Amino acid sequence: MATRALLAVISSSPNRCFISTRRIKNQASSAFSTSPSLHFQIQSRKTHRIAPSFSSDTNSSALQPPDVSRLAETARISLTPAEIEECGPKIRQVIDWFGQLQKVDVNSVEPAIRAEMEGGNLREDAPETFENRDGIRDSIPSFEGTYLKVPKVLNKE
Amino acid sequence: MSTTLFRTIQPNQFTLLGTALFRRRRRSNFSVRCCGTQTTTTHEAKQPSQSRIAPKNHGSNKLDEILRDYEAVIGIETHVQLSTFTKAFCSCPNNYGSHPNTSICPVCMGLPGALPVLNSKVVEFGVRLGLALNCDLSLKSKFDRKQYFYPDLPKGYQISQFDIPIASGGYVDVDIPLEFGGGHRRFGITRVHMEEDAGKLLHSDTGDYSQVDLNRAGVPLLEIVSEPDMRSGIEAAEYASEMQRIVRYLGVSNGNMQEGSLRCDVNISIRPIGQAEFGTKVEIKNLNAFSAISRAIDFEISRQALLYNQGQADQIVSETRLWEEGAQKSVTMRKKEGLADYRYFPEPDLPEVILTQDYVDSIRSSLPELPEAKRRRYEAMGLGMQDVLFLANDVSVAEFFDAVIGKGAEVKLAANWIMSDIAAYLKNEDLSINDVKLTPQELAELIAAIKDGTISGKIGKQILFELLAKGGTVQGMIKAKDLVQITDPAEIEKMVLKVVSENPKQLEQYRNGRTKLEGYFAGQVMKMSKGKANPGLLNKILLEKLNAKD
Ligand SMILES: [Zn+2]
Repeated sequence: MATRALLAVISSSPNRCFISTRRIKNQASSAFSTSPSLHFQIQSRKTHRIAPSFSSDTNSSALQPPDVSRLAETARISLTPAEIEECGPKIRQVIDWFGQLQKVDVNSVEPAIRAEMEGGNLREDAPETFENRDGIRDSIPSFEGTYLKVPKVLNKE
Repeated sequence: MSTTLFRTIQPNQFTLLGTALFRRRRRSNFSVRCCGTQTTTTHEAKQPSQSRIAPKNHGSNKLDEILRDYEAVIGIETHVQLSTFTKAFCSCPNNYGSHPNTSICPVCMGLPGALPVLNSKVVEFGVRLGLALNCDLSLKSKFDRKQYFYPDLPKGYQISQFDIPIASGGYVDVDIPLEFGGGHRRFGITRVHMEEDAGKLLHSDTGDYSQVDLNRAGVPLLEIVSEPDMRSGIEAAEYASEMQRIVRYLGVSNGNMQEGSLRCDVNISIRPIGQAEFGTKVEIKNLNAFSAISRAIDFEISRQALLYNQGQADQIVSETRLWEEGAQKSVTMRKKEGLADYRYFPEPDLPEVILTQDYVDSIRSSLPELPEAKRRRYEAMGLGMQDVLFLANDVSVAEFFDAVIGKGAEVKLAANWIMSDIAAYLKNEDLSINDVKLTPQELAELIAAIKDGTISGKIGKQILFELLAKGGTVQGMIKAKDLVQITDPAEIEKMVLKVVSENPKQLEQYRNGRTKLEGYFAGQVMKMSKGKANPGLLNKILLEKLNAKD
């Protein structure tokens, strides 16, 4: 399960083979450090401790090697054969690491459905208009009139 | 007014004649009212020959015969857009109809680094709906990412709940209207989960592009998944309309189908009766009226049954079909080749959603009386099912009715006034019951004044329409306009004698056997009394005088 989650993380980051979520956050906080309305959301959080989410199927220690082509396809990115070659072993390393984690005996641990975070941080239902909406719209390459313009896609999946 | 599947105080109705293709079993026609533009549709003439799946030699009897051998299995996914002030994970205003792409921020635009923070109202509404649907609540649930790539979804994934929804394992009770056979049904609710909506896409008719409005991206939804417990279009439509009633009673959504605040996707398969395993499941989308749900399902049942019957069951494929309201048929939107791989994984940016038992209990105790409880209570009061369904259909009407009887008005009389004259007025004026100046207190007064004979029923109606339009009190109006009913026999007799003596010709005709003229005389006397004469006394005295041998 943890492996599947990881694969999804990998494949949902279209621009590179592998980005850690930590790096996304770091980039992000610098990119938006000038925007005061965002500060309330960029909170320090405890280091994520990942506990097994589900009844762990520990017998799957022999994990399948990654099918990089398929991963790329599900993430809608094109990779050259050379890039596939390059990414394969890196992803394999991560999967192997999860393989190690799966060997840990967690039978005595109460399953957590989520990595532990400071809970209870819900937001009041009070509207606030984001100030720099023009900035967002200006950064959209295909903004026309009042709409984003995209290629016609009818077949939603 | 014909009895309707969808009782609503909204105006407009249309009558739909069942066609050969849509007719099932005993049903030969049905009428459906929905809040939309007024249309009268008759498909009788054009349907069977036009449909590519109904061969010309299939008469309706033949189709009925075929349908008798199959059973439909129907499940519904309902997306309810919540009427919160802000989006699910950011503080952008959640306003329907805002100028395109103005309710946006880094969070709902999926800009890097922006982190979602859950709106507490979404949790509250999820709990409310979960409890209303008799579900078990997960005191700990979580959010997941559902990956898909489409221009209306800026992040490339939707934040949803996958394996641990906030609520699951419930049920909903509905009453099937009498004209569709009546009866009480219980449909299972598999789950209710929280998620975010995508933006809106507008496809240009001419160009090769689409336009995207992201105001809706990130707006909170509750998705309700039913068990595959429904067996006909009527049951499915009644289920959907109960969902609308419930979300409106709870105040979690306006439930407006035209605006897309309540969207139903139907899953349907048919199987030969007696077969345990399900047939191939087909999904139907674009159903934005209850009538469309009902008809799209009946269309699909017929389509599949005919394919089975013609030995072409292999042509029933797993696909998504779009209902075309204009053509009254569904067309293939896309075939489902293999299950979509959404690659769900736990949303790393959101903590788990923790509910305390105290919180759940406090919401449970604040739940309003729900439609099913209201219907059972009205039934126990002695109202007929038609009245019960009408009154409980619209939460505002039900509240008004409850307030009127709370003021001591007789139940049946209150129901009659609301369902006849008041409903007609609302329909003509295109108003909701909350818009009128008439208060429940004054309707109760009016009913009492008629009942104790202070005013006649006829005057009562006049007063009612004044109260609806201008407000005021019954007592004030009776005094100001001197409307008190004349119940003094001597006074009525005087008027009767005057009318009789002024119409000698009619009197002669009456006495020669044209007894129908009694109505004419009664009308004249009533006119003279300005509608105030007690009708019972009037008729009694009038008959005496007309039949008197002088
Ligand atoms: Zn936003």
